[in-house]
Amino acid sequence: MINVLYIDDEEHNLTSFRAAFRRTFKVFVTTEPSEAVRILEENPIEVVISDQKMPALSGVEFFELIMPDHPNPVRMLLTGHADIDAVIDAINKGQIYKYISKPWNEAELKRLVEEASELYQLRTAQDMQASDISKRLYSAQDKLESLATEIESSSVLTIDTKRDYIEILNEAISLLQVPI
Amino acid sequence: MINRNAICRLSFTLFVASIFSFSSSSIAQKYLGTRLEILTASESNSDTKSPVDLFNETWVRSELDVPNLGNDGDWVWARLDLDPVVDAGLRVEIAYPTIDSLQVFMVCDGVVKSKSSAGATIPKSSREQISGNYPSFYIPVEDCEKLTCYIRAWSGKQLLLPVRVEGSTKLLSDGHARDVFFAIYFGVVISLLLYNLFLYFSVRDDNYLQYVLFIIAVAGTQLVLNGYDRVFDLISSPWLALRITHLFGILSGVFSIFFVRNFLHLKSKAPLYYKIFGWLYAPYIIASILLISGYFNTSYDVINVSALSIVLLFPASIKVWRGGDISAAYFLVGWSVFIVAVTVFVLKDFGLIPYNEATLYALPIGSAIELVVLSLALGSRINQLKKDRQRAREKELNTSLLNEKIQKEQNIELEKSVTARTSELTEMNESLQLTLEDLRAAQQQLIQSEKLASLGQLTAGIAHELNNPINFITSNVQSLKRDFGDLREVIESMTTLHPNSEKIVDELLVVLDRVKELDIPFTIKEIDELLAGVENGAERTAEIVSGLRIFSRMDGNQESEANINELLSSTLIILRSNLKDEADVLTEFSENLPNISCQPGKLNQVFMNIITNAAQATTETDLSRSERQVRVRTRLVTDDGKQFIQVDISDNGAGMTEKTKSQIFNPFYTTKEVGQGTGLGLSIVKGILDDHNATIEIDSEIDKGTTFLLSFPL
Repeated sequence: MINVLYIDDEEHNLTSFRAAFRRTFKVFVTTEPSEAVRILEENPIEVVISDQKMPALSGVEFFELIMPDHPNPVRMLLTGHADIDAVIDAINKGQIYKYISKPWNEAELKRLVEEASELYQLRTAQDMQASDISKRLYSAQDKLESLATEIESSSVLTIDTKRDYIEILNEAISLLQVPI
Repeated sequence: MINRNAICRLSFTLFVASIFSFSSSSIAQKYLGTRLEILTASESNSDTKSPVDLFNETWVRSELDVPNLGNDGDWVWARLDLDPVVDAGLRVEIAYPTIDSLQVFMVCDGVVKSKSSAGATIPKSSREQISGNYPSFYIPVEDCEKLTCYIRAWSGKQLLLPVRVEGSTKLLSDGHARDVFFAIYFGVVISLLLYNLFLYFSVRDDNYLQYVLFIIAVAGTQLVLNGYDRVFDLISSPWLALRITHLFGILSGVFSIFFVRNFLHLKSKAPLYYKIFGWLYAPYIIASILLISGYFNTSYDVINVSALSIVLLFPASIKVWRGGDISAAYFLVGWSVFIVAVTVFVLKDFGLIPYNEATLYALPIGSAIELVVLSLALGSRINQLKKDRQRAREKELNTSLLNEKIQKEQNIELEKSVTARTSELTEMNESLQLTLEDLRAAQQQLIQSEKLASLGQLTAGIAHELNNPINFITSNVQSLKRDFGDLREVIESMTTLHPNSEKIVDELLVVLDRVKELDIPFTIKEIDELLAGVENGAERTAEIVSGLRIFSRMDGNQESEANINELLSSTLIILRSNLKDEADVLTEFSENLPNISCQPGKLNQVFMNIITNAAQATTETDLSRSERQVRVRTRLVTDDGKQFIQVDISDNGAGMTEKTKSQIFNPFYTTKEVGQGTGLGLSIVKGILDDHNATIEIDSEIDKGTTFLLSFPL
């Protein structure tokens, strides 16, 4: 189930949201920004939805607040009234994925959350792939280093040694995807 | 030129008359000059007082009938041999009144028989003078062989010795004739003097006064020259008596110059002569100094020489005459006569013409004629003056007539321009009326647009405010449907159970499994929550709509009873979403506010404007959202027996400067950025409050906040 966090100062909206989506998503709701940050830290949240107009801080400000520590969860802004300044801020400062207006359409909202989740998956996958490549590059480097010390100690290069050397280099090149 | 002809004729007549008078010798006197022997003073005899000592001096016989002894200031002796028989009892008359010192000795055969004195310095009582102005001396009846009359004379002036021997009767009658003549002369002079004095006082022309002074000097000269000062014993001081003749000579000269200069207007008409005549005062000043110092004869010479310069008057007056001044011609004639008279007088002294009563009287006659003619000259000046005045008056009259005409024309012009201006003003007034209407329309439009702007702002707020409840109502309905679907499934499956069935327990277990699976207790709890949400949403929607209904009266101008608290509440509802991220609004409403008659929509506009501004002001500070506050308070107050509803709206915002405070109600004044506000809000607020007779006061402090205090009279 997709982990969704929804923050709004209006308690009834939270109830509605949970009632609407508890069957399809794992829903986390709160009215407090500090509580929202805690939830983000403790749960693998994939999608964050925030109301724009809140008394303590606006939705865009909330996104700005969490972005440095939690860049991956996909952000969506929910607002009761289309305010062009808010939209501009949302895109430039909050780097949001979608902008949804109240009252929401349940089906559409569901679809958007699912899309956002896919985006989240893609982002995490890329992150993981990137870390995997760098791991393999590090091991290739280690092998090359040990090979080098072996070459230095022995005066004669065996054919095996040469083959190993070429294999390691080929692997590194393929990892780097550098066309030769 | 009639005047010029008249002057010519007059001068000709005068000339003929004077010639005639001088040549006639009907009253010719017989002076015994040729019988006189003269002894002029020498060193040896200068102090001699008795004729006895002088018998052996060299006596010279005179060649003239009247010996002229010059102006030397020396003692002069003269002797006349008399016939002791024929001349006895007669008198020796010396017909020359200005001799200052005169002693007459009657010597019979070398013995002085009598001695008599006369002259200026001798008091009247001791003078040998029977009557009249000439001194005469009695010839005693003595039995002697040779009777001689010795005359010792001294004068500070010209000295002549007209001597004759006549009986007392003859001398008296001649003296009487002279007195009559001079009486007439002085009569004429005095009448001229009074006449001109009178003219001076009536015309106030200085020329008359100068002329009067001139007359006095001339008449005075004649008076002293003919010895009448002595006849009437006018001067008691011997010092003055010796100088009086000179003095009048000087005065005559000075006043002549004075009179000439001013009468002829030499200053403007002949400046050169004016200057020359000015210099002529100088010799008279010298003469005066000499006279005071006792140089009588020198002074007399200076006076006579200066008098000659009077001939300069001819070119001067001719020049002025040519310049067009007719009176200058009279002036010329008058002076000509006088100069002729003077000439005759002088010529007679030198024996060139006979010395007789006629020539003797040339001077008074000449001066009298001169005075008369000069009076005429002045008279012509009066005429001139009169003419000038007449002309001036006519000119004035013409000018005033012209002025009147011009004024009339101007009045017509003025009336025209007034009419034109009036119509212009009427037009202008009409166009101003139009402009005013345009302005009113524009103002209405501005107010309308301001209203629309705030309506737009409101709509946005209201939309947002409505969207929340609508959102959760619609969403909750969906969820409720689902939850109810779960419930229905359980309930339906339970309704299919047959209590009598053997499998009832199994079937119940299945249902219970389903209940557990669907988490029905949670669903029921959720249904409660969702229903509460729907209820709340519905309430809030209703509240907003009712607030909107109150607010929708904004457009109308109709008066109605309204409660200020209610109005404020509705405004706050509508503003709630707008204010949510700006400031907390705290309200403190007095519960017993009476309704007031007002235009509720307009008052809502007022409250909305002020509250929005207050909230806005809090965002311009460093305060965090939770610290920003707007306080709205209503109170019922009594002041001076009058009741007011006070609404104060205060914030802890940025406050405003004195400048802003003073201009805040001015239309188009705004502290907001361009495009952010019309600057009309508060000016409209002021207008609305004025319509309600309400007042607004502002209390503001920078960085502390602002309070708007509104007072509505009941």
